[in-house]
Amino acid sequence: MSALETIESFVEGAPPGELADVIADIKALTVADPGLVSKLGPAFEKYNEEQFATVRLPGSSQPIIVSSHSSLGNGRYYDVESSSSFEYDHATQKASGAQSYVLEGAQAELTKSTLKTLSPYVKEHFPNAAYGVYPTENDSKVAIIIVANKYSPNNFWNGRWRSLYIFDPSSGALEGSLKVDVHYYEDGNVRLLTSKPVSTSISSGTGAGIVKEIGNAEKKYQDELNKGFTSLSEGAFKALRRQLPVTRQKIEWDKVASYRVGQDIGGGSSRR
Amino acid sequence: MASADPFDSALDLLRRLNPKHTTKHLQSLISLAPDLTEDLLSSLPLPLVQRIRPPLGSGAAAGAEGGGGATPSEKVRRMEVKANEAFDVYRELYYEGGVSSVYFWNLDDGFAGVVLLKKEAKPGSASEGSWDSIHVFEAIDRARMTQYNLTSTVILSLSTSSTGLGEMDLSGNMTRQIEQELPAESDEQQIANIGKLVEDMELKMRNLLQEVYFGKAKDVVGDLRSVGSLSEAGRDREAQRELIGSMRR
Repeated sequence: MSALETIESFVEGAPPGELADVIADIKALTVADPGLVSKLGPAFEKYNEEQFATVRLPGSSQPIIVSSHSSLGNGRYYDVESSSSFEYDHATQKASGAQSYVLEGAQAELTKSTLKTLSPYVKEHFPNAAYGVYPTENDSKVAIIIVANKYSPNNFWNGRWRSLYIFDPSSGALEGSLKVDVHYYEDGNVRLLTSKPVSTSISSGTGAGIVKEIGNAEKKYQDELNKGFTSLSEGAFKALRRQLPVTRQKIEWDKVASYRVGQDIGGGSSRR
Repeated sequence: MASADPFDSALDLLRRLNPKHTTKHLQSLISLAPDLTEDLLSSLPLPLVQRIRPPLGSGAAAGAEGGGGATPSEKVRRMEVKANEAFDVYRELYYEGGVSSVYFWNLDDGFAGVVLLKKEAKPGSASEGSWDSIHVFEAIDRARMTQYNLTSTVILSLSTSSTGLGEMDLSGNMTRQIEQELPAESDEQQIANIGKLVEDMELKMRNLLQEVYFGKAKDVVGDLRSVGSLSEAGRDREAQRELIGSMRR
């Protein structure tokens, strides 16, 4: 792997809310070759678009999503709800040059009606999220994105929820993925990474129908995820190491040699 | 702004990047900053410490790096054999399987060692996991006591998958340190002291891992998305406040 590929892989692996920290580390590690960091532009762009980076336009309180589905090319992105486009600096994660942007085309109506029902749904279930709906794939389909972030670096944890759906009006198919990324790093490094594909169909083909199905899929997924925590805790975790030996007592270390010669050290598994 | 120390930055990156691939990240860091190789390899509590010395019984003197010499003295070697037996019992009682190894070596003012415990759970099944404990200690001779410095790392990887859940991976590592002075008048007592320190540390760390993996991580998911309706929850809280307020009046 070249040095550039190496630092690109570090950028790609930055946990939620920690890109700036990772960049600072990369800079300190490449002081001998300061030109290297300036070549990270494409890696930053990929990271921001894949992670659904959010940005606030000057004078607006609503966060707006940066994604390949809302890209106009040349570093510009648009947002339907605020009818604006803007220039996005992938290295600093800042927006500038906001202009008015009017959505047109075959999917414009469906995009707007989906957005209208998506907004109250997101507010009901995500305390801190950005969302967006965009015509995609040459105006043949509609992309729906939700991203929720919660950063608490003072307590050494950060988290992100990402939902991406592509609705195909010609077939009624809704395909997507749900991803959760949680990082905890107080005297350690613990990461929860999940990924769940979604595949369903919307018979009505309306914005309200799409959002209703999204709500069902996300509720079902979150219930499954909570069950996943329980099954890992009760299953694999318990099977790895007991909290105490079968005797429910700590080891008497001064007698540990005698355990060896066949005293009952508790539990059938030790008897052979 | 003065630039940060590259070594600190490398360690910072390792606690941010996916802990499941720490060895790969370490190799990347070493290729990026070869000057840091020795510092990184000697400071990291990875299973890499297994490189310190070939396993017990391999006979040949080992090319350990640094420290007070690779081949333990006869006395320390005898303790090492006994410690391996003791931790084999420990392993059976707590892990009911898995493997354990203990390596000791001499220091100018005492001895040091590493206790390794490893277990895999249900490999190949829908819900699997692995546990690696790495306990590195120094036992330093004091006037009447021995001072023990213990640094313990547990690497815990868990994953599960199903149609409804998709893929779920919960992996990482945590490190804790402790220093304690204890009387040790015999080799047996040395091993008992080390055993107790490791046993207490593992109990503490298991509880901590349980809290972080199944408490904290789950809570953060609940903070990101609420299963129930947020406005209803808000109304319930408001109603509760009013109820409490009316009872106080």
